Amino acid sequence: MDTDSAELVRLTLLEGGASPQLVASLIPSRPLEEGEQYRFHFDMTKCIGCRSCEVACNEQNGNPADIKWRRVGELEGGVYPQVSRTYLSMGCNHCISADCLKGCPVDAYKKDPLTGIVMHSADACIGCQYCVWNCPYSVPQFNPERGVVGKCDMCRERLIDNREPACANACPENAIQIEIVNKIAWTEDYSLAESPGMPAAGQTISTTRITLPQSSTAATAWLERVDTGAIALEHAHSSLVVMTTAMQASFGLLCGLALVRNLDAVSLLLLLLVTAAALNVSVFHLGRPAYAWRALKMWRRSWLSREVLCFTLFFGFVTAATLCAWTPLLPWHLQLQRLVAPLAWAAIASGVAGTYASASIYLVKARPSWNMVHTPLDFFLSSALVGIPLLSVLARPALIITAFLHRHGFEVARPHFTLYPRLLALTAGVWILNQMVRVARLRASAIFEHRASFHHLRGEQLWWCVALSWICALQAVLFLFAPLHWMALLSLLAATAAVLLNRYLFFVSVVPLSMGLTFIRDRGTHGRAAA
Amino acid sequence: MSFIAKKNTATQRANATSEERIALAKPTLLQRITRWLGLDNKSSLYRYAHDPRFGYISESRVADKWTKTTCGYCSVGCGMLVGTKDGKPVAARGNPDHPVNLGKLCPKGLSEHLIVEAPGRAKQPMLRRNGRTSPLEPVSWDEALDVMVSRIGSIQQEHGRESLGVISTGQLLTEEFYTLGKLVQLGFRTSNYDGNTTLCMASAVSGYKLSFGSDGPPGAYADMESADVVLLIGANIADNHPILCNRLRKRPGQLLIVVDPRVTKTAMMADMHLPVKPRSDIALINGIAHILLRDGLIDRSYLAHHADGLDDFISFVADYTPEAVSKTTGLSVAVLESVASLYGHAKSAFIGWTMGVNHSTQGAMTVAAINNLSLLTGNIGRPGGAPFSITGQCNAMGSREASFTSSLPGYRKFESEEDRNQLAALWNVAPNDLPTRRGFAYPDIVEASVRGEVKALWIIATNPVVSFPNHNLLKQAFDSAEFIVVQDGFYPTPTMEYADLVLPAAIWGEKEGTYTNSERRVSKVNAFAVPPGEARADFDIFVAIAERLGVRDRIYPGWTSTHDAWLEWQRVSAGRMCDYSGFTWQQVEDAGGIQWGGERLYRDGIFPRANGRALLHCVPCIPFAEQPDAEFNFILNTGRTVEHWHTRTKTGQVKLLDAMVPNAWLEMNPIDAERLSLRQHDRITVTSRRASVPDVELRITGIVAPGQVFMPFHFAEHNSNLVTLGDFDPISREPNYKQCAVRIERTSWN
Repeated sequence: MDTDSAELVRLTLLEGGASPQLVASLIPSRPLEEGEQYRFHFDMTKCIGCRSCEVACNEQNGNPADIKWRRVGELEGGVYPQVSRTYLSMGCNHCISADCLKGCPVDAYKKDPLTGIVMHSADACIGCQYCVWNCPYSVPQFNPERGVVGKCDMCRERLIDNREPACANACPENAIQIEIVNKIAWTEDYSLAESPGMPAAGQTISTTRITLPQSSTAATAWLERVDTGAIALEHAHSSLVVMTTAMQASFGLLCGLALVRNLDAVSLLLLLLVTAAALNVSVFHLGRPAYAWRALKMWRRSWLSREVLCFTLFFGFVTAATLCAWTPLLPWHLQLQRLVAPLAWAAIASGVAGTYASASIYLVKARPSWNMVHTPLDFFLSSALVGIPLLSVLARPALIITAFLHRHGFEVARPHFTLYPRLLALTAGVWILNQMVRVARLRASAIFEHRASFHHLRGEQLWWCVALSWICALQAVLFLFAPLHWMALLSLLAATAAVLLNRYLFFVSVVPLSMGLTFIRDRGTHGRAAA
Repeated sequence: MSFIAKKNTATQRANATSEERIALAKPTLLQRITRWLGLDNKSSLYRYAHDPRFGYISESRVADKWTKTTCGYCSVGCGMLVGTKDGKPVAARGNPDHPVNLGKLCPKGLSEHLIVEAPGRAKQPMLRRNGRTSPLEPVSWDEALDVMVSRIGSIQQEHGRESLGVISTGQLLTEEFYTLGKLVQLGFRTSNYDGNTTLCMASAVSGYKLSFGSDGPPGAYADMESADVVLLIGANIADNHPILCNRLRKRPGQLLIVVDPRVTKTAMMADMHLPVKPRSDIALINGIAHILLRDGLIDRSYLAHHADGLDDFISFVADYTPEAVSKTTGLSVAVLESVASLYGHAKSAFIGWTMGVNHSTQGAMTVAAINNLSLLTGNIGRPGGAPFSITGQCNAMGSREASFTSSLPGYRKFESEEDRNQLAALWNVAPNDLPTRRGFAYPDIVEASVRGEVKALWIIATNPVVSFPNHNLLKQAFDSAEFIVVQDGFYPTPTMEYADLVLPAAIWGEKEGTYTNSERRVSKVNAFAVPPGEARADFDIFVAIAERLGVRDRIYPGWTSTHDAWLEWQRVSAGRMCDYSGFTWQQVEDAGGIQWGGERLYRDGIFPRANGRALLHCVPCIPFAEQPDAEFNFILNTGRTVEHWHTRTKTGQVKLLDAMVPNAWLEMNPIDAERLSLRQHDRITVTSRRASVPDVELRITGIVAPGQVFMPFHFAEHNSNLVTLGDFDPISREPNYKQCAVRIERTSWN
């Protein structure tokens, strides 16, 4: 029962008696020349939507059932019976100007000089998922089992062995082929990469050529995505919600301490604790926290690297300033207090840069509702919104610790604190205004993904979070106006809640650019969307 | 139903989501910590390697042995290679040498190796000791079979032999169908035995018998390639037989015409789609015949030599003028004229059909009407010309030929004394041991159980709770049956809710024998795995039961394996139309399957009717029974999708397929949705006169006509057969799944 033929030829079709022309049409028969690369050709007129390619891809790569490097989507248009439903089958588009690659903080991607294939290294990857946000086609997918991202590599090793990729092999209609493309010529005219249901090809210069049905009928002229009625909420990235909020709080606090000339040892120590906590939380966003340090690598290119670099510097300066502030108590009579202020201002400078880099991470074209001026505005305003009440709240522990130290004969500077309700009122007002303008702009936008984000925000799952977040911001102000000093703590809690909720909404309500998917599908665990 | 809530958890990495894989690993504390820190990215589990046959691939899919076999899903009958490593299945590939599929498989086939070790396999016999309310408890095989034989025996003693009803399947090996037939008819001695094939292709069988005197699809897949015109009626092959699609659109100039009220994937492939009104296909066919006769586009010499009934037919179709047919079908006169002319002028014309035709109270007669067209134009028995039933299950054909249900083995007739004598002689039994008439067909067994005539049921490899129409009636039947045995490869299935005894069976991949596909191609099926737990091959179960009934030596003399059944079946089928005697198992395997009867039947124009001539039938077009009205204002159509197989006992176990299409949906035209103020993804309730199916996801789409809705029948969770009509073809006894009246209401907003 074991098969007797010793060797099955490279193309499964060949043995069945298919013509050599057909075989040659699946993969190129000549080697690549200078300036050329491989690309996919997808023939929509041949595809019958059987989804064999999806299964074959998962089998080829041993992937879990929930991760599909090749996906099939549906497009539909027309009026019964002049109606058309066609299919998209897409792996990676192996773009000429790949955004996944540009954003990667650890240089895990490379555009293969031999084949032009955009390759990803699971060993270099730290699982930050920035490529997932950057790709307009949602091609890279995070695998929680591995803690790293993975993606279609056009079955590079098979191609090098002169074998067709798994998807092309499996397609019963020969709708998927590998072709050679001249990169310069394609960059000048990539119109054949465009298709209904696909984001505009120009952003990254997708190399996949798509043969569309001739729009001879009304139906094919209006082919549209069918998956837009129920877009699932995105992942909440809770560690990023906490980390960004906490980093912004510590940055805001430091600014406050510096502005009210309160850079005493105890306050700085408390600030240092907040910062350390924030940075520790941040690494747990990564699939591989132990390799967080690698993220420094690509600071010349990646905003994520820059964020890590700036916040590392921020932490370093805060640590140094704190140590300097404590030197009078140390036995060696190092009188370094005068360095505290310059170090604090250096920390503030890196904090400004870090917060800006942090916001810039989210200014990606593939995530339109993040890619707005409201994102950096929000990050800076949130720093103030949490920083101001935090400044007041720290008074109590700082005074207690100082008193304790004094009692034991340690002379440290005495912090002085006041409440700044008017400043907080102004900040909260601008903060809420920024959100409101953002929501209004999302609603009125011509971009589908913006409007879809708006629908998420006003949908039954999220609208109350939006309301609660704004109410919390107002409440923070009211608490700070209260005559009771301990109410500052409630103000801090309310402000923190406002920022956390708002950040949660920021993450879950974004609607990424993506290829059109199928109407019925497993929409994951993030829940159903607002229509 | 409690089984629905039960979520099977993965038992194998290959068939698991990423979260399930993490859970499957059962990591130690140290591994947890290294995983948590990301020190281990599991690269050893995601390595690639070079498979000597198939090249660079995930190391987890590299096999040390490849076994040739035939796919166990649909009747296309694709040749496969299943790779095993250390005896465990790791990969499924199309067999590039197999003439049916040339190395290609659909997504179900490509993932079929995952079925064998799926979590929901039946592993031990289970018995309810104290009635249906008590739980199923594991028992030994000895006890299980003793209980089965003694309970059925005492019921038969009290209520007569015919009080046992047996409902089988299209999933077993031909050798097993042959074995089972003898056991039921000669061991249990009940003729109330039928297969679930009556739910799918009985109309084709009956229609062939009406026109040609015998069952047997006359054509071959090759005819789909070589025909000038391919006319598909009620056949959505792109979803249901996807590997047949590559036979089409291959030859330049070939014209594909698809007749379907819904704009299916197959209709999208067509050069011409004819969006007929539901159940107006007979009018369309008669209308084409009318034009062919009017314009002289018929093969007069073929008709003169090989067909009866032309005169009656001519006067009958005189009424089916293009104008009248246009009114019935909703197609324009110009379209009708053009289709008839294209069909009539074609050098060769192929008509394929599936459930759109068969699932009807007029299914058998519709098939006869299709046969009329082929006879009129002489498109039968020659390349490219055939009236061709594309069957459903992997071995529905084996069951038709060998199983002793709708006919005696080898297409012999119950009613024919000559046939009975011949068979009795072959078996060395007395002729009066053989039944002289067919017993109850599947729906009649169900109705007989409601009436109390059938008291014991033995259900083999089928899942009527999801697949039988009008579920309420079936429930009554099951509730009134005294003893129900369910034999299946999976546990639990929805039908096992009603089982008193569960027998765990081996499935595809664990048994050796043959399947016969739609084009009569007998293909070899091989084992590459052993059944899980105590599960046994159906053949072994049948033999063990025969042993207990004391008939083993009489009906299975000296048999030890399915090959013994094959050898006897060869002798029994020798000289019959479905003659299996000309080839051995090995020859079948080496050739990638061999078609009994050659590439096509009736090459000489001699038909197995008494006078050797086929018969033209006058087939009136009668509107379907349950027309929409003010209260139930939609026509419900049901069907399938490519990712799933029948009631999902198998594909529901394959995580990848299940995640692709995890739930049922209802398709509705935008005009109706607007009228009912429904929105995409709303949850709706489908209600018929019989029952309701709540919470179905709504898909508003132009691929269904206004006034019609469509729903897949795969899902126990949203069971379309709660609402379908329990109305059956008087000839074939096939249910009318395709049309019933329903209303649609919102369950909840999206």
